[in-house]
Amino acid sequence: MSHSPTGTREVKDRAQYALCAGLALLGGLLLFDAGRIGHTTTTNDVVGPRAVPIVLGIALIVVAAVYARDVARGGHGEAEEGEDVDLRHPADWKTLGLLAFFFLLNALLIDPLGWVISGTILFWGSAFALGNRHHLRGLAIAIALSLATFYAFAIGLGVNLPAGILKGIL
Amino acid sequence: MTVLVGYVPNSYGEAALSAAVAEAARRQERLLVVNMSRDDVLADAHRAGDGQLDRVRRDLGELGVESEVRRVEEGSDASDALLAVANEVDASVLVIGLRHRTPVGKLLLGSNAQRILLEASCPVLAVKPV
Amino acid sequence: MDNLNHLLQGFGDVLTPMNLLIALTGVIVGTAVGVLPGIGPAMTVALLLPITYGLEPTTALILFAGIFYGGMYGGSTTSILLNTPGESASVVTAIEGNKMAKAGRAAQALATAAIGSFIAGTIGTILIVLVMPQIVKFAVTLGAPEYFAIILVAFVGVSAVLGASRVRGLASLLIGLSIGVVGIDFVTGQQRMTFGVPQLADGIDVVVVAVGLFAVGEGLWVAAHLRRKAGEVIPVGQPWMGREDWKRSWKPWLRGTAFGFPFGAIPAGGAEIPTFLSYMTEKKLSKRPEEFGRGAIEGVAGPEAANNASAAGTLVPMLALGLPTNATAAIMLAALQGYGIEPGPLLLTNEPKLVWALIASLFIGNTLLLVLNLPLAPAWAKLLQIPRPYLYAGILFFAAMGAYAVNGSPFDLYLLLGLGALGFVVRRFGLPVLPLIVGVILEPLAEKKGRQSLQLSGGDISGLLGGPVAWVAYAIVVAVLFWPLLAKLRGGLGGDDDHHDAGTKAEVAA
Repeated sequence: MSHSPTGTREVKDRAQYALCAGLALLGGLLLFDAGRIGHTTTTNDVVGPRAVPIVLGIALIVVAAVYARDVARGGHGEAEEGEDVDLRHPADWKTLGLLAFFFLLNALLIDPLGWVISGTILFWGSAFALGNRHHLRGLAIAIALSLATFYAFAIGLGVNLPAGILKGIL
Repeated sequence: MTVLVGYVPNSYGEAALSAAVAEAARRQERLLVVNMSRDDVLADAHRAGDGQLDRVRRDLGELGVESEVRRVEEGSDASDALLAVANEVDASVLVIGLRHRTPVGKLLLGSNAQRILLEASCPVLAVKPV
Repeated sequence: MDNLNHLLQGFGDVLTPMNLLIALTGVIVGTAVGVLPGIGPAMTVALLLPITYGLEPTTALILFAGIFYGGMYGGSTTSILLNTPGESASVVTAIEGNKMAKAGRAAQALATAAIGSFIAGTIGTILIVLVMPQIVKFAVTLGAPEYFAIILVAFVGVSAVLGASRVRGLASLLIGLSIGVVGIDFVTGQQRMTFGVPQLADGIDVVVVAVGLFAVGEGLWVAAHLRRKAGEVIPVGQPWMGREDWKRSWKPWLRGTAFGFPFGAIPAGGAEIPTFLSYMTEKKLSKRPEEFGRGAIEGVAGPEAANNASAAGTLVPMLALGLPTNATAAIMLAALQGYGIEPGPLLLTNEPKLVWALIASLFIGNTLLLVLNLPLAPAWAKLLQIPRPYLYAGILFFAAMGAYAVNGSPFDLYLLLGLGALGFVVRRFGLPVLPLIVGVILEPLAEKKGRQSLQLSGGDISGLLGGPVAWVAYAIVVAVLFWPLLAKLRGGLGGDDDHHDAGTKAEVAA
């Protein structure tokens, strides 16, 4: 069981309720979507496309309720340990936000600017978010990695990576 | 006043340690041995294991040197860590092992020794292995 | 033996200089990625899978086989040199392996792991060759109800057996099944859970789910809780073993293989159980039990062999039945489907050349791994000295690259981030990951077989009952589901979440 002071335990428990709510919401979505689908059954297919979503939707709501009851009784899941994970401190949202930002930036820029540029931004930005302070070195590695993967995989193995605005130059 | 030595488990660190012992004897000061282990890698080649640090303690004990052996585990820069300790204990001299870096090497990989030499507020003794 | 001829021809197809080069590339890249923290073999394959998409099927399979075995070996290297492994099946290797390394026997630990993996991989692949035709004979007798029942066993197995709490396992499974529902219903063409987003019409690719859940999820999780201490670097010479080490290793290798292969082949078996079993057995059988916990070579030899044999075992139901039994198998299935191979009982008859080429590439990848990685072990060890920001940035980089390459669409990247967030949530709340991915993988198959069964019976629910195989399967499902209830009634045990055992870690199956 958790060794953290009761304050942390309570915060953890409440957060689990959010998860239960999420599960119930997912169940609701499934049911809602199933309702939207017309009831189409044929002799070939007796149950139709609605059956599984409906079953899942109900199951999710039931499980959400049982889960919430388990949480109320003090149950909690063990957050994952790992060789690089130190759970004594709360989550570092700033780093996460930065990572998400650079990841989304890559998603937005990959088609217009091409993999070489957007991948460089992704790598450099992620390293920066994770604490890299050697910015020039990070940039050099990012460029090298993007170029290497582009040449090796896109050109060498025919992988689907866009050249973007550098088309013709590479 | 303290003689501070930056120790790493290789020939450069050993050379620095020997020089530091001699220096401490000459100045009649205590010796502080610091091993810095980066916190931003999974495995750090400069990290001295517990066994190695114990051995250093034993050797210093046998020599009769008044000393302390410390490991610093926070921070990603050895030179910063060492300079911080130097300020903290008001070191009279900082002893480090010196390895040769080409200009390109220094550009790409940085040079702890150079930073220490330039930024230390106390004298620095840079030693090469024999 | 007709099989032997086919196999030899497979070798012929595979053994060209170009293909050997490709195999080498696969092994190298696979090992390098496998060494990275938090990246198990399943994830290595998922991350690198998209780079094989542009190739001819045979070439792609060769690259894939190299990546697969390379990834497994990379993970062992990390678990021996650092105290904690990259994935849960290597937990056991880390126990003895790391102690050996700290005692200056890293070379022997790495050698026994590599050679044991090679032997297990080779024997395992031979077993695939021998066993597959028999399984196929059995498989063709399976009707839709039997399939459905077996899949239910898999569902129940992953969610209710492993992990701390059934509720959480079930929740995880249901989330996975819901993701599996997304897309077009195969019978009626109805769009389900797509909410008008056209890119979702084809469903969510298993590889994207795997990479998002495991690689990105792991990356985000670690980023939020970055640990602050390094391990020391253990000097690694060339891996080698003395005569004594060989003597002590060869039986554990064989026993480990015997444990691993069957567990890999059964639904929800995976690699954790056989590696633990192998460890326990070796400890019991050892003439030097006091060495265990301080660096006993048997404790590395057996579990590593079990690990590899299990991976080979997962190929049997995967190829013969089209049934993936854990995350690694699921990704391999996705890989094969990408190359136009449709696994199932008819696979061997329809596409013999491709199957034998796959098997030949497994042998070759396995061999290359041994030849290549023993000398290169010190280099792999160096990878662990790369600063974490670069390592995890690299993981996100490759994840993004791969996910985009699947469809050439940025939409998959948004999906990847969303799934990464899901992976984060799952790790935060201690939900087991395996049921989730099994749910995603098997939902289409389960639904298909379930509806077929009911169709055959004209809507009568007894149509699900089928034949004796199905009955046995259902009996297992019921037993697993209601066991704790019975135990509670009998012994007044506590709630069902008091076992926080080692199996609670996010279940990244080998």
